Amino acid sequence: MRLALLLSLAIFAPVYAADEVTSSGSPIDLSQPEFNIMGFGDISYITNDGSDNDGFVIGQAVAQLSASLGHSFSAFGEFTASAKDSEYSFEVERMIVKYDFSDHYKLSAGRYHTPIGYWNSAFHHGAWLQTTTSRPEMLKFGSKIVPIHFVGVLLEGNVGANDLGIEYKAGFGNGRHSNIARAGDAGDLNGDKAWMLQVNSRPRNIYGLNMGLGVYSDEITLPASPNIEERTVSAYIAWNKETPELLFEYLHSTHESVADSSNSGDVDAWYAQAAYRLSGKRSNWKPYIRAERTRVDDTDPLLGAENLDYDGGILGVRWDFNPYAALKAEYRNEEFDSGGRENNFRLQVSFVLTKL
Amino acid sequence: MKRKNANLTARLIQVAFCAALLFNGAQSIADEVTATNSQALAIVVHKDTQVDNLSLEELRSIFLADQQFWPDRQRIILLVRAPQSDERDYVLNRIYQMSEAQFRQYWIAKMFRAEVPRGPKIVFSTDMTVDLVVAIPGSISFIRADQVSDDVKVVRIDGALPSESGYPLK
Repeated sequence: MRLALLLSLAIFAPVYAADEVTSSGSPIDLSQPEFNIMGFGDISYITNDGSDNDGFVIGQAVAQLSASLGHSFSAFGEFTASAKDSEYSFEVERMIVKYDFSDHYKLSAGRYHTPIGYWNSAFHHGAWLQTTTSRPEMLKFGSKIVPIHFVGVLLEGNVGANDLGIEYKAGFGNGRHSNIARAGDAGDLNGDKAWMLQVNSRPRNIYGLNMGLGVYSDEITLPASPNIEERTVSAYIAWNKETPELLFEYLHSTHESVADSSNSGDVDAWYAQAAYRLSGKRSNWKPYIRAERTRVDDTDPLLGAENLDYDGGILGVRWDFNPYAALKAEYRNEEFDSGGRENNFRLQVSFVLTKL
Repeated sequence: MKRKNANLTARLIQVAFCAALLFNGAQSIADEVTATNSQALAIVVHKDTQVDNLSLEELRSIFLADQQFWPDRQRIILLVRAPQSDERDYVLNRIYQMSEAQFRQYWIAKMFRAEVPRGPKIVFSTDMTVDLVVAIPGSISFIRADQVSDDVKVVRIDGALPSESGYPLK
């Protein structure tokens, strides 16, 4: 027993060294700068029926840097390298400076994952953090359905100390780029800034429940065509405990030409995901299932010609074979607007590099 | 034909998932364990902290870093015992309701979402916990009730002290 204790201390002590604090008898000032680094990565093997492109895929390599620069001021950066056909592309995914006035008011500026719905601001780029191998189709990186990123300012916090656990996020900033899969990193293309508001509730006496509603508004400028107004409402409900884990998210967008209000169309998209962490000796295993659907009106002036209708169902299991790594095996049956129905199977190992 | 295949696939997925839940349900009954400690756990804070009583839900909110400031706007500094201690096991079981792996993933996700600039401070013994609670304004931690000293303030939970009936962390 003592040997086991010594061994565990020998193993864990270096891991926790950076968070360890010591006392000299006088008050300790923790307002000095403190830096943290984390990394995420994943490698998949994907096989598709009717395709010769089976093979290994290197997922995104993610580096996250955060710094506590005093009791209330902090900075955060998330950077990715993504494998392309003949090169890697590097991206600043998030870059945030934040000042916490209190639990009720936290003001930040930078580049964010837009607070629309649940997934986009819960899991970010680390495949290890999410149960499944990939994000829902409507929220995939590079999605045109949802503005994944936005650049601007964000005010967030909780609303008083109440049992409903009401929280809010209110953002204002640059809308989408003319390449609508990207944020307006270098400035807004028109005078109408994007704005968004999300309110969610995490009732204190129902530990694990999270429900939210959100709105997003922007005016999009496209090359050689009239501007388009985008209005999105979203709703989600999540049960965060793993026995079970339940996620449901719905999004409805309306796109309307500024020059001709009759030129409009709607988008409806949702996904539902359920997972269950097994118990006892099998607690490293978590089977999961997800269904999802996206429908875009053919008359939609922004997305109608993009062939984005989608139906998908996935069934998989996650095996946490190591505290910092997971293996996921997943079967997918998907029907794309442009490419018909396909089955594929993927095996993914994902990991996190951290000192926690 | 295409719709028929889709329905069949959906049905297969439903059946497989239900089977997994049923199988695990039976196993979880057999594997059920209790991780409670007969000794009460005291929640201790720095003496200058202007808090005397917390509900169990408020305490959980603090330990989850959903609440990061005391009412006087002082930043809360959470001190958590390193793995392999009874106190940590009890807190993970009773307050966090998480396994060690879930606890680790929770804090990694919390930092990755930029909701906290750093994770909890790790301490390795009761003496170290008391020393640091004394030394760090705004700090909060937990120790066995029979090891509490006058150097720290014990917070009532749901209106009760560890020695009183109705104390929820026994």
